[in-house]
Amino acid sequence: MKKMVKWSLMLVAVGLLAWGCSKDKPETDPNPKTAPEQPADSTLNLDALVADTLSADSLARLEAERLEAERARLEEMINRIMSDDVYFDYDRSELTEKAKVLLAQVAEILINENRFVVIIEGHTDARGTEDYNISLGARRSMAVREFLIAYGVDGKRLVPVSYGKERPKVQGTDESAYSMNRRAHFRVIIE
Amino acid sequence: MPAQGGHDNVTMNKIKLLFVMLAWAFAMPAMAAIDTIAVDVGISVFKLMPIGIVPFEEEGKIKWANEAPHVILKRDANLSGRFEAVPSDKFDLVLFSKKRARQYVSGSATKLSNGKIKLDCYLYAAETKDVLLGESYTVKPHEVRQAIHSFFDKVVYRLFGERGVASTKLAYVSKIDGVKQVVISDYDGFSRRQITRDSSINMMPVWQKDNKGLVYVNFRHNRPNLYAISFGGKETPLFTQFSQTFSPAVNPKTGELLFSVTENGKTEIYRGDMKKGTAQKFLHLKSNQVSPSWSPFASEVLFTSDRGGSPQVYAVGNDGTDVRRITFMGHYNERASWSPEGDRIVYTSMDDGKMNIYTCALDGTDITQLTSNAGNNEHPTWSPDGKLIAFASDRGGNYQIYIMRKDGSGVTRITNGTENTSPTWSWFFGEKKFK
Repeated sequence: MKKMVKWSLMLVAVGLLAWGCSKDKPETDPNPKTAPEQPADSTLNLDALVADTLSADSLARLEAERLEAERARLEEMINRIMSDDVYFDYDRSELTEKAKVLLAQVAEILINENRFVVIIEGHTDARGTEDYNISLGARRSMAVREFLIAYGVDGKRLVPVSYGKERPKVQGTDESAYSMNRRAHFRVIIE
Repeated sequence: MPAQGGHDNVTMNKIKLLFVMLAWAFAMPAMAAIDTIAVDVGISVFKLMPIGIVPFEEEGKIKWANEAPHVILKRDANLSGRFEAVPSDKFDLVLFSKKRARQYVSGSATKLSNGKIKLDCYLYAAETKDVLLGESYTVKPHEVRQAIHSFFDKVVYRLFGERGVASTKLAYVSKIDGVKQVVISDYDGFSRRQITRDSSINMMPVWQKDNKGLVYVNFRHNRPNLYAISFGGKETPLFTQFSQTFSPAVNPKTGELLFSVTENGKTEIYRGDMKKGTAQKFLHLKSNQVSPSWSPFASEVLFTSDRGGSPQVYAVGNDGTDVRRITFMGHYNERASWSPEGDRIVYTSMDDGKMNIYTCALDGTDITQLTSNAGNNEHPTWSPDGKLIAFASDRGGNYQIYIMRKDGSGVTRITNGTENTSPTWSWFFGEKKFK
């Protein structure tokens, strides 16, 4: 992932360079020292090269671009975590085999990106009382949390909450709706 | 037969006598049993007391805020679980006699120059027109309903020697602009007032001791947490030492709270002091526990536990000892609540994904199904006199609040509009003073 950021940075650098060249200024050094394998240095080099055209404004823009790329990368990871819900059987809180495969992927992401704190929401289908369903949702969020801890994720970053039957994903009173609502859902907070 | 001798005749007579005695011996307990049943089901349709309802005489054209006094009285009578209204346009002894209405209520209403209305309300003996009870109220037009409820409770007391529930209220959850909000209303669904205005989820409202305010659950911090609100006062978070709290139950004697706490995936019941904010674990069980409910004198507690693998109702002493299981039938019995009369519990049971309301004796026997073949029926709550049960049902398409008598008869819908759920009946109120 870090590589990707570097590459995007380099592209920006090259773009800026081209823009600098297109201005009719005579180029003093025909052989700019922007080494492709060291994009991190490129900013510095660029500074030296086109110091007169590159204002503080441009630097800020460059920094913004870098942050934007980083943000997009994080967003993509968050989306991956949040898009997949873990589903449960009726009135059960044990993880299915399918759920464990999915959770292993989530665990990998969390281990590699330690800025994330994850809220694990436990949900139930519409059957049963409000009270019992909050305790059932709590057991589901806990089952997910315990799996992730066992996989190596720091428990401090995993916050379990239960919504009971209060936030169904799918409306309806048939099994297809119920099965989508018996779930654990992730919400990601960046520290 | 005629060939047989006199001796045989004597024998026959003896045998006959024996039979009669035997029959008598068997009949006695049977009759006693029938008697007992009739007493137990003292609330069934046949035991309702007919009462005549006659429109008030009006002096000056009165524009009623919502309904005329006799309409309010008729509704109170039919909802009470004690009376059956016999409405009549005027005093009609033939009708009252035919319907066995030995008393009737009526009165007069006068519009005063200051905009108030003077209500003179009477309970009469039908045959003699003797006044059994007379009450006078001078109220603003919007207070007429309260005044008539107050009079009706006096009628109940005069004829039954018990407090009626016409002046009590319900707290429940109403979906307003797509958000679950806690509201309160009169017990008959009128005069609804919104209590919470938060944009997350508000649920599980219960009444504080002496009806001073409510305790309920709110999700503003993206998790269930208990809050207390006093009427006309402010809202305070409760027991913030716990991350998730719900299932509140107010002790009717001391006001202290039993509630569920979820920590590390396990849900357990705690007992807490709302003012001090302190709480201790109430039960030391391996299982999850929700839905505590106090007995009328707070000596015992009902709760639901999954210790047997499925949610079932248990009872325990108020010191947390002597746990015993109450429900054995079915795989899902939850949210039990102790009748104010102390003799039965009401709870929600689920079968084939459908929820219905049952009552049973304190030892789990004598199970009676109160609702059937009418959608889901859940969240039962007793009226403070123990005659009625309010509950939520989606029998009409979406969830609304209904009231029925404690034997399941006389089901009456009291709310309409968008979804209404989770009713909790208030305690008795002190007598209202009209200024």
